[in-house]
Amino acid sequence: MENVLELEGVARRFPRGIVALREVSLRVRGGEFVAVMGATGSGKSTLLHCAAGLDRPSAGSVRLAGREIGRMREGPLARWRRDRVGFVFQSYNLLSELTVAQNLKLPGRLGGPRRRGVDDVLAAVGLQGFGRRPVGELSGGQRQRVAIARALVTGPSVIFADEPTGALDPSTGGQILRLLRQAVDRDGVTVLMVTHDPGAAAWSDRLVMLRDGTVATDAPTPDAETIADRLRTMSTAVAA
Amino acid sequence: MIRQALRRNPWSFLGPFSTQMLAAALVAAGLGITTSIDRAPLDAAARQALTDSGVADIAIIFVMIAIYLSIIIVGVTMAATIAQQARDIALVRAIGATPGRVRRSVAAQAAIVAVPATLFGVPLGALGGRAWIDGLVAHGLAPAAVTFQGHPGALPIAVAVTVGTSLVGAMVAAIRPSRIRPAVALAESGAPRRRIGKVRTAAGLVLVAGGVVLSVAIAGLDAETTDQLGLFVMLALCVGAGLLGPALLKVAALVGRLFGDTGRLAGDAIGVRAKALSGALVPLTLAIAFTAVKVIILNTGERVSGTAPDAADTWLEYSGTAVYVAFAAVAAVNTLVTVVLARRRDLAVIQLAGATRGRALRLVVCEALLVTGTALVVGAAVAATTTLPLLHTALGTWTPWMPASWLVTGVLATAALVLAGTALPAALALRRPPIEVVS
Repeated sequence: MENVLELEGVARRFPRGIVALREVSLRVRGGEFVAVMGATGSGKSTLLHCAAGLDRPSAGSVRLAGREIGRMREGPLARWRRDRVGFVFQSYNLLSELTVAQNLKLPGRLGGPRRRGVDDVLAAVGLQGFGRRPVGELSGGQRQRVAIARALVTGPSVIFADEPTGALDPSTGGQILRLLRQAVDRDGVTVLMVTHDPGAAAWSDRLVMLRDGTVATDAPTPDAETIADRLRTMSTAVAA
Repeated sequence: MIRQALRRNPWSFLGPFSTQMLAAALVAAGLGITTSIDRAPLDAAARQALTDSGVADIAIIFVMIAIYLSIIIVGVTMAATIAQQARDIALVRAIGATPGRVRRSVAAQAAIVAVPATLFGVPLGALGGRAWIDGLVAHGLAPAAVTFQGHPGALPIAVAVTVGTSLVGAMVAAIRPSRIRPAVALAESGAPRRRIGKVRTAAGLVLVAGGVVLSVAIAGLDAETTDQLGLFVMLALCVGAGLLGPALLKVAALVGRLFGDTGRLAGDAIGVRAKALSGALVPLTLAIAFTAVKVIILNTGERVSGTAPDAADTWLEYSGTAVYVAFAAVAAVNTLVTVVLARRRDLAVIQLAGATRGRALRLVVCEALLVTGTALVVGAAVAATTTLPLLHTALGTWTPWMPASWLVTGVLATAALVLAGTALPAALALRRPPIEVVS
């Protein structure tokens, strides 16, 4: 399958000399589930932001769904995101005063594609009949499922997930990861997920470890225990 | 998104709402005054006298003031409103809203709020217009035959004015926040921006220095030229003080350290929020400076020459100043309310860290007094620099004079405004248990 995401020599420096990404190149094929891990400050969130067009790299190029997005103007870039990308964040990021259905219709109201129906995606995340409930009344796990439904409703090529289970207990988190896995296996969506939880990363096909803004390892995902071991060695290596 | 914004932070729309209400009132009053004068049963001579007095022009000026001040102040207050929506804006930007879309949504919010605001404002304007016409008659500036009559089209015209000005003001206010990269907005929504632009400070210093130099230079010229150039001194100083607002508050924050632990905490809070608070400092300073200049010139004149100025003229001068002051007060109070409401979380954290409700409230009051003090000092400095050359050339004196009653009223009124904008909402916010606010 062709590459959905191509990062070529991507760097991101912030004012006052802070370097979040030193040099990262990464190719992600369609239908891949990639987990990105690394210690706090290793640049994993910045990598996700740059890959998703939420931020612009200081150097290098980003191709997202077949288009170079590094130099795109804000308006066209926003439309490109709307049509090709879904987001799931740690803090749910739903509009809390609206109902579930209103949140799911939001991308469509913004002019995005409506490739899947609201009821269809609600059923897919196990929230049939929740459409009229205000988001403010839902539990954390339910909100995160709404966020996944919203990411799915436009039928995106890629879903970017930033610590999607960070605020959830392990069993609720497991449900969320199962949904992301399903989206990959059943709908052929590509998922790029940033996480610090080895258990969450174990659901992926491929594991990218970042250290100091560069790719330390990039290989098929081992089991959770091996991931945890590898994280420990990496952090002791940094400490030494 | 519009619905979300209106429901989530209804109080954050208080600023635009009260500005629009005031603008609608002013438009209704201005239109009513012209109608009243046009329709008054007067003979040709009386009408000619009234036209010559320029009273009708003042009504037009009211409408013009309403238009331009409401664009500026709706813009300023909407900027604070938008700041509270930063997370939601970042979210919709992430999932594909273009900057233009965000701007239109913000403008629509302002326009929607403008309609009820106008409905409240127009009757208020009718009352104000009636009081003003009565004042004219009472001071002998208009014949008794002139009675207040509302303009038949006041409501639709006022709606058109408030909606139009709100659209413009909000669009401009939304330019920067709508263009910000979503990743930056997602990260930034937690902490306020602390840095003050160097260009801003430099421009402020240049303007203030220019104002002072001009003030010294014109003190040696003849009275008429000085009078004309005096306006530029005031403008330079006001704009300069506005640009220096955040920097001035940082200085005030240092002063706060002299007042014990609460003062130190208050100083720190002001230092962090200097940029947001300067949105309140600037209109307060302008209002104080404007009023002080008027009061000083009229009263020093009376004292030096020994004759009281024409009571009717004085009344006209003060009624014009009152309009400006009302707008400035609305802007200042609203900015303060928004800042305090945005701090609900901070206050809750302070309580969780061991502060009692009373102590948290004392902290807010202390901050309020520091802002008040800064506004009074800066306003007085602007007024003094503006009036000194005017007094010297026109009256030959270097000592500005203001009756003690004015001074006390001014200080108390400023303090009352600032406290109303800070301590009151803080007291209400503190009634909720802190743990509820934090979670």
